[in-house]
Amino acid sequence: MALSVLVFWLLALVSILGALGVVVARNPIHSAIGLVLSFLNVAAIYLVARAEFLAVVQVIVYAGAVIVLVVFVTMLVHPDDLPEFHGRRPLRVATGLILGIALLAEVTAAILARGLRGAPGPWTEETVAAVGGNTSALGQVLYSEFMLPIQLTAVLLLAATIGAIVLARPEAVSERLAVARRLLTISLAHPRGLDQPEPPLALPAGRDERVKPAGGGRPIVLARSADEFTERPAWGEWRPR
Amino acid sequence: MDWQRLLVSYLVGFVLLNVLLGLMAYMTWFERRVLARLQHRVGPNRTGPFGLLQPIADGIKLLAKEDIVPANADRLVFLVAPLLSFALAPLGAAVIPFGETLHLFGVDVPLLVADINVAVLYVLALGSVGVYGIILGGYASGNRYSLLGALRSTAQVISYELVLGLSLVGVLILSGSLSLQDILREQQRTLVIGPLTLPNWYILSQPLAFALFLIAAVAETNRAPFDLPEAETELVAGYFTEYSGFRFSFYFLAEYINMIVVSLLAATLFLGGIDGPIADGVWWLALKALFFLFFYVWLRATLPRFRYDQLMGLAWKVLLPLALLNIALTGLVRLWGIGAL
Repeated sequence: MALSVLVFWLLALVSILGALGVVVARNPIHSAIGLVLSFLNVAAIYLVARAEFLAVVQVIVYAGAVIVLVVFVTMLVHPDDLPEFHGRRPLRVATGLILGIALLAEVTAAILARGLRGAPGPWTEETVAAVGGNTSALGQVLYSEFMLPIQLTAVLLLAATIGAIVLARPEAVSERLAVARRLLTISLAHPRGLDQPEPPLALPAGRDERVKPAGGGRPIVLARSADEFTERPAWGEWRPR
Repeated sequence: MDWQRLLVSYLVGFVLLNVLLGLMAYMTWFERRVLARLQHRVGPNRTGPFGLLQPIADGIKLLAKEDIVPANADRLVFLVAPLLSFALAPLGAAVIPFGETLHLFGVDVPLLVADINVAVLYVLALGSVGVYGIILGGYASGNRYSLLGALRSTAQVISYELVLGLSLVGVLILSGSLSLQDILREQQRTLVIGPLTLPNWYILSQPLAFALFLIAAVAETNRAPFDLPEAETELVAGYFTEYSGFRFSFYFLAEYINMIVVSLLAATLFLGGIDGPIADGVWWLALKALFFLFFYVWLRATLPRFRYDQLMGLAWKVLLPLALLNIALTGLVRLWGIGAL
């Protein structure tokens, strides 16, 4: 028993140090590393509390998501471009301090009002063991009692995903139609340069009547410039020209 | 009693770690020899019989090299990142069962380090943390090529991790458990299809998931034809451009250990692991894993590298829908009890 308490305090200490590092570090990447450190230690605390599933999900969802944060920071932010990270901003510091104290007070009040241990629910160690471990128990509760919230969350996430895709591809409908038209069009380079007055808008007929014309009935256009109608993007991907 | 079990676990883990490190060294020899054969070359054959001492010579060479830190590197992160990659790589092997419990000197010795009841998720979580070694190393080098390599690698690993995880869901539905031991136990049963009596290996009931897992695993370990992060024609060497000496070798070793762990995992999840036609045991697992390792080398010798947009398109537009389809089909089969596996 004493061992697990010791381990808990160690993990809690490192986790808090990591969280401090997030706030104190000047380099945004170092902040992100501190965040990951904190998350991993919280996951380890879950493990000590025998919530293996929760621990692994914490690692996958939180520690895994911070990697995306790191990527964005590396791509978008250069540390030298962050003047506010270097100068002292008393107003910001004061705001952060006040908000932090308010949050701390709220959490403390909630703990004092309700206690750290709520009323015991229907799940005891025996009932959990009877279902076959806490992972199964969690799954069964989530997909029976909390079915509606789970589904709603899933729909919400789906909507967010679709929204992100729409935001990331801002081209207009007309442009998309142009892309579709381009995919369904055969483009020929000018055989004799751009000064040819009348482009032949049909392929020369083959000598053999039984051979189908090349292109299978798709319209044929002549490209006015080198990159018009010439790039067939991979996997139907639209790429800005 | 608890202390005893802990000690046994540590000992098994210690042995496993050393075996893995030795195997990893000889994996480099194996790869070079097989690759040479496939390309009509001879391969390393000067150091010792059949070149068997080559990995040792390589190791000594790498350890003796100078450890250079670039002037504009983020020093601490630069120094720690390869260690992170290297330390996380063998952890996945901790949940793979290598055999039945042994009884030695009156002590039960389970032939796996940790029987975690969420073993499959644990391996996936390790994968998602393992990317940090790559991205931090690339960022900390202070080199554009390294950074580009690291960003590519991150995007690739995150995308393929999704496919990897989803491809395993079918197996989880059929076995009804996240523990590798339970999954093995399910596979040791027999599957009767008409006149045929087959082992209930999941490669038979989940062929699509197996293919997806294999493709995603190759991409996840950054191996050819998915070795975009280290595309030398475009990026010098990718995220470890600036690394030298033993820090470089840490990335190198991590890649090979990852290959071995993924091969063991594939053998355990889809090919019945230690289950075999006669005399179940760790040798069957080794044989199956060796097949996967050979497959890795074979791929590298055969296929050209993907273009980057093809790589991402393949993951998101082909493999991911197929994985979802596999989950839906498996769910329906399970729901209606077809085959009653």
